[in-house]
Amino acid sequence: MKQSRREFLTLLGAGTAALSGLSATSRPARAAGTVTVLNWQGYGTDEKWALEAFRKMTGIEVVNDYFNAESEMITKLRTNPGVYDVVLINSARTQQAMADDLLDAVDLAKIPNAAGLVPKLRDNAAFTVDGKHYGVAWLWGMNSLAIRDGRPLPESYGALADPAYKNKVAMYDDAVTAIALGAFMTGQDMNAPKDLKPIGDWLKSLKPNIKTLWSSEDQWNKGFAANEFDLSVYWSGASVRSQRNFKLPVTFVVPKEGAVGWLDTLAIPASSTNKTNAEAFINYMISPDFYHEWATKIGAPASANALAMDRLPADDLNRRVHAAHYLETMTLMAPLPDDRREGFNNLWQEVKAYYAG
Amino acid sequence: MKLAARTYILAVLIFLYLPIAVLIAMGFNESPLYQLPFSFSSHWYVELMSNRKLLNASWNSVLIAAITAVIATVLGTLAAVALSRRQFFGKEALRLLLLPPIAIPWLITGTAMLVFFYWTGIGRGFHAILIGHVALAIPYVVLVVGTGLTTIRADLEEAAMSLGAPPVKAFFRVTLPLLAPSIFGAALFAFAVSLDQFVVSYFLATPGSSTLPVEIYSAIRKGFTPEINAVCTILLLGSVSIFLLFTLFAKPGASRDRS
Amino acid sequence: MPADAASRTPPTPDRALGAVPSAGLRLPSWLVTLTMLLPTYAWLTLAILLPLGAMLSFSFMTATPLGKKEVAFTFKHYRAFIDQPYLIGVAWTSLLIGLWTTFLCAVVGFFTALALARATAGRLRETLLILVILPFWTNGLVRVFSWTMVIREGGFLDLLARSVWPDAPSLGFLYSLPAIILGLVHGYLPYMVLTCYIALVTIDDSILEAAESLGARKWTVLWRIIVPMAAPGLISGSVLIFVPVIGAFMEPRILGGPRGVTLGTVIEEQFTQAFNWPLGAALSFTILALVLGIFATFSGVLRRSSSL
Repeated sequence: MKQSRREFLTLLGAGTAALSGLSATSRPARAAGTVTVLNWQGYGTDEKWALEAFRKMTGIEVVNDYFNAESEMITKLRTNPGVYDVVLINSARTQQAMADDLLDAVDLAKIPNAAGLVPKLRDNAAFTVDGKHYGVAWLWGMNSLAIRDGRPLPESYGALADPAYKNKVAMYDDAVTAIALGAFMTGQDMNAPKDLKPIGDWLKSLKPNIKTLWSSEDQWNKGFAANEFDLSVYWSGASVRSQRNFKLPVTFVVPKEGAVGWLDTLAIPASSTNKTNAEAFINYMISPDFYHEWATKIGAPASANALAMDRLPADDLNRRVHAAHYLETMTLMAPLPDDRREGFNNLWQEVKAYYAG
Repeated sequence: MKLAARTYILAVLIFLYLPIAVLIAMGFNESPLYQLPFSFSSHWYVELMSNRKLLNASWNSVLIAAITAVIATVLGTLAAVALSRRQFFGKEALRLLLLPPIAIPWLITGTAMLVFFYWTGIGRGFHAILIGHVALAIPYVVLVVGTGLTTIRADLEEAAMSLGAPPVKAFFRVTLPLLAPSIFGAALFAFAVSLDQFVVSYFLATPGSSTLPVEIYSAIRKGFTPEINAVCTILLLGSVSIFLLFTLFAKPGASRDRS
Repeated sequence: MPADAASRTPPTPDRALGAVPSAGLRLPSWLVTLTMLLPTYAWLTLAILLPLGAMLSFSFMTATPLGKKEVAFTFKHYRAFIDQPYLIGVAWTSLLIGLWTTFLCAVVGFFTALALARATAGRLRETLLILVILPFWTNGLVRVFSWTMVIREGGFLDLLARSVWPDAPSLGFLYSLPAIILGLVHGYLPYMVLTCYIALVTIDDSILEAAESLGARKWTVLWRIIVPMAAPGLISGSVLIFVPVIGAFMEPRILGGPRGVTLGTVIEEQFTQAFNWPLGAALSFTILALVLGIFATFSGVLRRSSSL
């Protein structure tokens, strides 16, 4: 009895030792010379060749962590103080993070490549307060329509309701985008619609056409490749990748109502302990060198850096899809007050329940 | 009758293994978008061998699942025996407390753990994942072992005791051997619960301590490639061969001979 | 006295394990019980019950108390089914999916377990049992994706059908309720097989032989003897299936497409997209309350029937 007890204790001790050892090694190395980035997976900051080039240039090692939803990004920032040095934030969400003092202002003077940023994007009011920038404009893109080659190019979002596409439409499963399209079709401001009822009615009228709802680029590609749908709401940058990397017969179209635009920024969390490294990394991310490589080899949204866009060949697919004039015609997603966001979500939820019924 | 029964088992196995067969086949299909027609390629296995991150994550998964299975099976079996064989006040309440971990979607449990572990300083990482996984697996063990206990006749234990065996001895000599298949089954489930658990791991993993399901879940947005199928196939073949060795070398039906 | 009744009779307290003072070891009974239960319940409390308690308190708040935002007490999230009536339809869909999945698993699983217990033995039985559980060890997400490739139009099912009859119409049924149920049955069946098997493997041949020698027909034996004996297994299997299926979101989302709107997906979106933890938590605790309610009712019924 005694013996087995001793054995058990030894075992327990060994187990604990093993565990603490493991948890120590599993923590990211926090030595000087790293920068920990919180971003979507596969969204530029984790391109292998880029991290290699950045390390050669600066000696800084990049550690990536990911989020799968914007709300999750804010939760991770809150519950992991000191872990992250750079975070990707959609400009419509910056104020939410700022309200909790999660972000520090970035001094653009310390980021040489910021000189090339399009002023309209650089100083966007969603993240610029009293001349201080709580994020560096990095990429912009559009949510609009994608059509299978061989079908007529749609002139309006009304095509989503066209009986010609019965059971052949894929919607992006996102409340803000869906409500925005409804707002366009009912002549309202997508960021502050006055009357949600007609928007809901229009979205519900798409029901006979809705084949599927997609929420990831992967799901979109696999569904499109399997001929599940012909017309879809899609992301501009993803459409370039689908055409170029997967050879899918698809064309990105912005109809007359204009696109739903968005702007992503790279921000520095207030709790970051590697701010200099963070600035160096942001500087690299907005550089024309990185962007040129990323956009031409892999496919990316549009850079907020005008010099980076100018570096692309004139006939480059990415450049054509993100032509500069769209910057003027698209409606940028604006920060939403909580109750409005909740209203959007509830309406979209209701519409989806209607599709399911 | 026997033939019909065995044919039925075969049909069920075909149903269970149909998607597994597809999973394995697509690991050898060239198209990164899983497009048909099928065209053979070992490309994804070659890719996988140089994907250290995926291999590391797979190893973490197996390790966590094994430790979880051991801890949860020991603790859960003790609790199941107490719940089924001992008399005390509040037993029903304790039984009901096993339901929340199963009934509340893992996403909520995971979020709750993240916040609570943050508040209490437990934090994230390998240890946090393990704490979470064991807790999720325990109710499964208690329920499975508890089912085994209700079908083992308590009068056998009593008979042993009335013949002079001390209760502990009666338990180890009579009940435990009869219970062995249930405990073994419970351990297999605990292992499976942990191995497939992505939500809790996802919230509690730090960069670098991630597990295979976390990698797969994070890859959904960007797209996962047949490399994932390759790694799943390797894991599956690994466990099949371990079990084949196990059943070949273990004495068949050893645990039940004494019944 | 039938065997199952005997098996469910709890041992008299003074004969129970650990209660009888034995030669070397004298521990008070309550201490033994406590030692057996404490590790499990302490672990559950720390890792799940306390965190869920925190989540329960969030469900009564206007916002998640993590940021600097003012938080107030409210019941409004528990009024969701009244304020957003379409949720009742969603709950009905979830319930249907849960019931169908549990029912199909019970039927298929019970007969699989019976076949394993009665028609196989020794090494073959162990191998088959392990083969039933092994699919569980592959990633659930990848398994569900594999199903999409089987049942989509032009998928493996269609390829198979067209290899027999080239002009066969598409059999694909991806993005439908049956697709969701198929995926869920596939994912949860092993639970039912195992719990039923555990209950059935202890059946004494002599009881069945006695029944048959007394002239009982096969169906009578099945309904009057085997099913009651398997009852504990059927019940715990149903718990392990019905309860999590109500909150499942991966299978409905991937296999159901636009048809896959369930309580599970609604809750998931409150956490991931809408960032409305209080509402998501309130919905899950409503489900939990329903589940506990069902169990409180049923455990009474079960106890009554077993005391007969």
